[in-house]
This record gives sequence, structure tokens and C-alpha cells, in this order.
Amino acid sequence: MKYRPARSLEKLLLRPAGLFLIAFALLTFSSVTLQAQDWFKTETSAGVSNIRLAVADFKPASVDPQTASLKQTFDSTLFNDLSSAGIFDIVSKSLLPQATPGAPGEINLAQWSAAPANAAMIAFGALGTSGGRLTVNGFLFDAKNTQFPQVLSKQYSEEANEEMARQVAHRFADEIIFRLGGGIPGIAETKIYYVKVGGGNKEIWAMDYDGANQHEITHLGTVSISPRVSPDNSRIAFSSLGKDGFQIRMYSLLLNRMVNFSSGGGGTNLSPAWSPNGRDIAFSSSRTGDPEIYIADSNGGSARRVTSFRGPDVSPVFNPKTGSQIAWISGRTHLPQLYIMDADGSAITRLTDGGYATSPSWSPNGQFLAFAWDRKYGPGAPGGQDIYVMEVATKRWIQVTHDIGRCDFPSWSPDGRHLVFANSPDGRASSTRIVSMLADGTGRRNLTGPGADMPNWSWK
Amino acid sequence: MADLSWNPDDQFADDNLRKNFFGSLVLHITVAAAIAGLAYFHNRGHSWGENAATAGAIQATMVASLPLPPKQRELDTGVLTSENPSPAPLIAPLKTEPPPDPHEVALPEKVKPPKVAEKPTPAPPKHPQPTPPQPNKAVTGETAGIRIPQSTLELKNGTASAMVQDRTFGSRFAYYVNIVNRTVAQNWFTQEADPRASVGKSVTVLFDIDRAGTPSNPRIETRSGSPSLDQSALRAVQRVEGFGPLPAGDHITVEYTFHYTQP
Repeated sequence: MKYRPARSLEKLLLRPAGLFLIAFALLTFSSVTLQAQDWFKTETSAGVSNIRLAVADFKPASVDPQTASLKQTFDSTLFNDLSSAGIFDIVSKSLLPQATPGAPGEINLAQWSAAPANAAMIAFGALGTSGGRLTVNGFLFDAKNTQFPQVLSKQYSEEANEEMARQVAHRFADEIIFRLGGGIPGIAETKIYYVKVGGGNKEIWAMDYDGANQHEITHLGTVSISPRVSPDNSRIAFSSLGKDGFQIRMYSLLLNRMVNFSSGGGGTNLSPAWSPNGRDIAFSSSRTGDPEIYIADSNGGSARRVTSFRGPDVSPVFNPKTGSQIAWISGRTHLPQLYIMDADGSAITRLTDGGYATSPSWSPNGQFLAFAWDRKYGPGAPGGQDIYVMEVATKRWIQVTHDIGRCDFPSWSPDGRHLVFANSPDGRASSTRIVSMLADGTGRRNLTGPGADMPNWSWK
Repeated sequence: MADLSWNPDDQFADDNLRKNFFGSLVLHITVAAAIAGLAYFHNRGHSWGENAATAGAIQATMVASLPLPPKQRELDTGVLTSENPSPAPLIAPLKTEPPPDPHEVALPEKVKPPKVAEKPTPAPPKHPQPTPPQPNKAVTGETAGIRIPQSTLELKNGTASAMVQDRTFGSRFAYYVNIVNRTVAQNWFTQEADPRASVGKSVTVLFDIDRAGTPSNPRIETRSGSPSLDQSALRAVQRVEGFGPLPAGDHITVEYTFHYTQP
């Protein structure tokens, strides 16, 4: 039997359809009645590689002393954005030709398409500052098409500072990813909201998707957890510890202050979740003594209960594609398990078959659920909490983190290619940090240092 | 009601015209004399503006204080319509240019040409060098090569090639054809095809791509003779959600050939 799981298992998840095969492979793996099938391969289309993209350093278009530092920021940001996109085979910088072309007339395509670069696409351009303005001309050329090489050409003019240099690099990277990545918008301009632990308090913080620009959002001086940003990036719902326990609170990113959210009914209210149209919020509330899932409108009115079983029901999350399904964690059979149901409380399906499952996150195309799972939970049982991805339609799953300590709170990126999660290498809560990776488990990057928890990726 | 009928006899009957005329004359003279007398006796002794205890007052209203829109001041710049003619320009007396300074124009100095070391000419090789093989084809000019609007990928167990029926699109946006080919090839699961029936066979599938990049209407153009291979090719296209928006045009039709070479 020709079975090669190592490379293809991880690669496959980037393509949604690939999961059929992964699951097939896993089934084969675990099947007792395993029959030798000579033709079976997990490699679906071996030989199809990603687009090989060369990212040239941009050419300084002016001799301003500011240009050098801005160019450094721009070049590294663009390179990082494109290499972490997960759809390119990026040419190493050491293999690039020495020349830095700044305009279409200055590039020698043969130099880039030949060994050692062997690039299929080249991103290059010029960057200059004059009079406090940063001007960037970016191009994307097809190295193999000598007749009509130009794929993309963009011009940006912004205020000359480090922040804008990073923004422009993000925008140019997103244009390239959108053009070459099958029409899925890039995520370089998205944000991640998270909980920052410090001095006994927990506040909501925000950062760019690559970990830069970390800044505080709330200043409540209490414990605020599980931030969830609204689909239009205008508000953050979170639960915060007040004089009557944990309650859902709402912060407006447009007004930069708290706005009213009255969940009403008392009890502990936890883990809000936005519906994809931004009009409803699902949360768990213990107003009847038993934590159950409720759905209210976006300012807390007309809350209605959707679960009615004995045992805790927490951590709801809407299906972002349809908005008509909810995945949540229920303890109705002792240990918490992952369930899905329709948004009216019908058609309840249990997805996990055991262990200890927490904190689901539904992928933007509605196909997958990511969640934290300790499959061998119990005293003396080996195993730890890791991130798993399950295909909802087939209940087939793969494990995407291995041996990096305790992992929790996965959250999908809006392009469905990345996951961000909280990771504690030594299992202690104080050393929890935020890590992002491709959805197949590769390309892991630490975004923050210790003391950051519960990440939530913005919807766009 | 007056009697309007005219009776000449009645008129001439009492002809007192003379008496009436003198009566009227006396009456007019009396009235004129009365007016003149009144004017003579009335306000006699005071005149306007006289320094008297009961002097009358006159209020003069300035025209400028009227609540009317202000009058535009007329600019007196029109030469022809101006009431004050502009003065004739002064004729400046001619000045003679001062003679130029003798050191004003720099004279070029003699510059010594920089000495350049002579380049050593390479010694001619002692042995005759082999001549490089001359091209035995007529050179008709530098060309960039002919672009065929087709993209072919060699896969592990087959070949996938995409061709766009619109040849202009295919050569202009070759990168897009490459993306189409790559995406479909990534979604072609060759193990869906029965290897015993499919080896060495090819199937051609046609499908359309709309403006947003979504494939639609996949249909088999040329059957391979292996139904499982045909089905795997159709499924490969159906699995693709999108290729990204078309760089130009409303839609394109892609001809995709799957060639299954080995199991």
C-alpha cells in the first residue's frame, strides 16, 4: 500500500475539498478490516505545486533619510504577508537577483524566471517619500509571459510614517492574494481581538493579524473575557465581571466607549456570539439555574431560550455562511461535547464521541468546525488539549496541533486558511500566548508574548 | 331732468348775453383781487429761515441713507468711455549701454587632457581557437516566442491542460489560464478513476467561467471511454468554488483536458 500521509495531510486542508481524502485516509488508518488497496493514494494531484512568487525589495525612489526606514518596514511586511498567506511558494530572498527593478521598464524577466529564482510571478516596485507623503508603485508580473507580463499594477500615496508603510504593504499583499488566490480576499488588513492579562485584571486588546500594533481597547479595571467582534467591525461583545457576576457587555469601536447591552434576567451570562448578519447575539445564560443558550437581538432585547436540556450549554457559535445553525458545547452527557443544532433549537446533532471538547469556531465557508479537544480526558490519562478541525457534514476530523502544550480558543480567519489560538507551552495560565497558523497546522507563528488569551479574528 | 331739446327761439327770446358777460367779468376780478389781498396780508412780516422765535424747521434727508441697495461705484478704467482721459505715457530718453566689464566673459583656459593608461591588448592565442558552431537556420529577427493560450501541468499520474477558447484572452492573461489549470488540477482526484480502464485515456471537459470567477455548466466534450475517468474530471471542475474575478471580459469558456497516464 502506497500511503504517504506526512505531507499531503497537512497540505490538503488548505483546499476544502481535500478533507474528503484526509478523512478517508484517517478511516483507513483506524479501520480494523484494513485491506491492501494497491491503487490507493492520499496524494490527490501530486506535482501541482503552489505559485512560485518572488518578492523583490522595492527600489528607493528618493534619497530622503526617512525612505530607508520606511522601505525596510514595507519590504519586511510585504514579504511576511505573502509568505504567511499559505498559497504561495515564496522564493527565498537569498536566491533573488541583485537588481531591484522599480518600474516595468527596468525588469529583466529572464533573470527572474531562470534558476535559481525560478519565479513564476514577481512582485516589485518603487517606494519614495517627498514632502511628508509616502508614494508606492507596486507591480505584479508574470515571469513566464514575456509578451504581456503585467498582472497587477497599483499606486498608493499616504502619509509617510511607519504605520502607513505597513498598511500600504498589507493592501498590496491583499491585492496579490486576491488576484492569485482564487478570488478570496486576503487577511492582511484584518484584526485580532484578545484578552490581555495583567495585574489581576483582564482587559480586551486588539492587534493586527501579524501581531503588530497591539493596543488596549477597554479600560474597565475588572475581568473581561471572550471578546467577539461584530461582523461589521463596529462593536465588541464580551463578558465582564461586575457586581452581579459575569454579564455580557458591549463596546463600540466607532464611539470608543461602552454601549448599552441589557441581557436581563440575571444569572451568569457568558460567551456571546454574533450572527453573520450582525442582528442577533447568542450567549449562554444561567438565569434559570442551568446554563442554557439564549439568542437576543444586538442590544440585548427579546432574549429567547433555544436549548432546554439538563446540563450546561455554553460557547455558542453561529454558522457564518448561513446563520441558521449553531454549534455549541453541551454537558448533557457528563463531559462537555460538541453539538450543532438549527438556530431555532431543532435538529440537535452530537459531533464528538468522547473526551473533553471546548470552544468551537465555525469556518467562514461553513464547512469546518475548529475546536479544542482533550480526547483522553481523565485522571492519569495521557494526552493534552489540542486544536482539531472537523468537517461538519461528515464528522471527520484531523488534529492540527501536536505536542506544543495546552491549546485552546481557536478562531478562524476570514479567508478560512488560517487559525489563531491560545497556547500555553507549559500548561500554566500565566504563560498563555497567542499563536496563528495555517489551517493545516503548518506555518505556526507566535503573535504575542505570555499574558494573552482568547483570540478572536475579525470577520473582514 | 334737464331739457336737452334745443329751441333757437327760446335762446333768442331772452338775449341777456351782455348782462351775463359783465357779471362774469366782475366776479373774476373780485376773486383775483381777493387772492392778491390774502397773499399780501397773510404771514406778513416773517420769511423762511429768519431768526425768529417760531422759526420753521426743514429736514433734509440724505440720499445715501435711503434703505436702497448701494450703487455700484463705476470704475473709471475704460479708456474710451472714461471722462478723465489717461495721461500719455512718458517717453523715456534712450540710454546707452555701459561697456562690458573686461573680466565678465570667462575665457576658456587650456585644459590638459587626462592621461589614460593604454589598455593592454590581449595577446593573440598561439593556437587557433575552435570556432563556435554557427547556426544553420536563417535568423529572421528576435521574437519573444509564440504564446499558445494553453497551460499544461505534468501531474504524478497524468497531464492536465487548460485552453481558453478566446485566444486573445489566453495570451493576454496567461497567468489566469495558469491559475485555472492549477486549481482544477489540485481538485482532480485521480484515484476516483478506475486505473484498469483509464490508463492512457484522455477526457476533455468544457466549462464556463463568469465574471466573478465561478465555474459553471461543466460538460464533457470528448469522452475517454472510461466512465469513471469522465466522472472524476467532471467532479474536479465541480469542486472548484472560484478562480478569482476575470481580469477582462464577461465570461470565458475553458477547454480542459485530463490525460491519465499511469495508476
